[in-house]
Amino acid sequence: MSLLEVNNLTIAFGDKKVVDSISFTLEKGSRIGLIGESGSGKSMTSLAIMGLLPDTATVSGSITFEGQELIGLSDREHSHLRGNRMGMVFQEPLTALNPLMRIGKQIAGPLMIHKGASLKDALGSALELCTKVGLPDPDRVLRAYPHQLSGGQRQRIGLAIALACEPALLIADEPTTALDVTVQREVLNLINTLVDQEGSSLVFVTHDLPVVSIMTENIAVMQLGQIVENATVASLFQAPKHEYSQRLINAARVAEDAFSGTGGIK
Amino acid sequence: MKKAMKGNISLITGSVMVAITFSLLILSFIWTPHDPLEVTPDDSFAGISSKHFLGADKLGRDILSQIIVGSRVTLLVAALAVTIAMTLGVSAGITIAVASRKLQAPMVYAVNIALAFPAALLAIILAAVYGASTLTAVSAIGLATAAAVAQVTRRTAYGILASDYVLAAHACGASTWRIIRKHVMPNLRASLLIQASAVVSVSVLAESSLSYLGLGTPPPAPSWGRMLAGSQQYIFVNPLLAIWPGIAIVIVVLGFNLVGDGVREVFDPTLRRSDS
Repeated sequence: MSLLEVNNLTIAFGDKKVVDSISFTLEKGSRIGLIGESGSGKSMTSLAIMGLLPDTATVSGSITFEGQELIGLSDREHSHLRGNRMGMVFQEPLTALNPLMRIGKQIAGPLMIHKGASLKDALGSALELCTKVGLPDPDRVLRAYPHQLSGGQRQRIGLAIALACEPALLIADEPTTALDVTVQREVLNLINTLVDQEGSSLVFVTHDLPVVSIMTENIAVMQLGQIVENATVASLFQAPKHEYSQRLINAARVAEDAFSGTGGIK
Repeated sequence: MKKAMKGNISLITGSVMVAITFSLLILSFIWTPHDPLEVTPDDSFAGISSKHFLGADKLGRDILSQIIVGSRVTLLVAALAVTIAMTLGVSAGITIAVASRKLQAPMVYAVNIALAFPAALLAIILAAVYGASTLTAVSAIGLATAAAVAQVTRRTAYGILASDYVLAAHACGASTWRIIRKHVMPNLRASLLIQASAVVSVSVLAESSLSYLGLGTPPPAPSWGRMLAGSQQYIFVNPLLAIWPGIAIVIVVLGFNLVGDGVREVFDPTLRRSDS
């Protein structure tokens, strides 16, 4: 049994289909990258898995997670899985943290909700999680407010929150897009290490082909709500079957050429 | 608290002004220079003297004593109106914000209707049914301002509910109730404080006007609003009569506004000067 099976998932707002009957499976401990431009439906897909789509969306098809059908699950039942069996890291680490709540309590949240931990115990675990995500001086970090930390530190907190309950599935929705290039690499390496360590599966959503290629072994290329190509990283780079995949690769090459000096920037 | 006060001019000035009002309240139960209701025809329109520190009104009643005792009505009005307005307004506002789309529209209409209903008319209705008293005036003020509080609460809560950190909290499996408690309420706090201080000001002023219309605190119990209204006809003969209750009202209204402003700064960690 696969950990996650998405079958003919369709998400529509009124008449407009933002995700159009996509299917993919994710085995336990494996990873998949969802790549595509803005509006290709990759974020909507991840929100559908988390059960966080707005009320106005109509969803059809099937998503099975650990053998359980998620479409049609009540919000209450779905909330038992969120943050517990499945965790999510968001794009903008500053706005994804409550500005008026100390970091410690925010990391402690999922542990208190799902594991019934007391605040004291949860804060103890939060301290360990801070160390695990490589934050220096975790005691100070737990007492800090989000605005007192740097972007990279905040994203590490986001990761700590998502992984607090040791989820089977981690969804990372453009987790490094809002970060400095130098920090991006650190955060990507951290996600890599932690996902391996925990044996979690990973859905990595991005528009950045080079990033996804170092994070996952499989890539699903999305365009206008459809998966136009589903391939391994190696075969996608060597022989892209779809014209849109080719364009993505070309775009990534342009950037590479620029750095290696054969392109525009001297 | 000391740390919070440091450099926070609004909070310091406001606290002093509010403290003055509360000392008048305490003083009113212990000592007044004269019986505030004692009529002494000989002292009619008496100026500032050692007998009447702030002078006396037409009936020769001591102004200072009336102001001291009048603080009771003012602070009672402020406290009750804020309690009514904030309790009703905040719970209504949050309920609407988290309600399903279908239920939202009729509830928003209800708030808009309540908002359009003039407070004075509500006070007249209540006074006609229950008789004019401080309590009917306070209820009218509280109900009328509750609609405004509900409106602001709803709009601010919408913004908070649409924020990334609420989505992130949902992604952690938080229930709606937990999100209201841990995320919506704390982030509403700053705007609610401003609302509460505005309600204090509005209610003190509204009580004054309602008393003036004969819909508030009935005579002879001294009220700053009625003192102000009563002195209106003598404004050219004896302007000081209007100035004293006027100053008293300004001190309360301004004091609470400044405290609201200052406390907001203390609660918002991003506005704090020193790091925790």
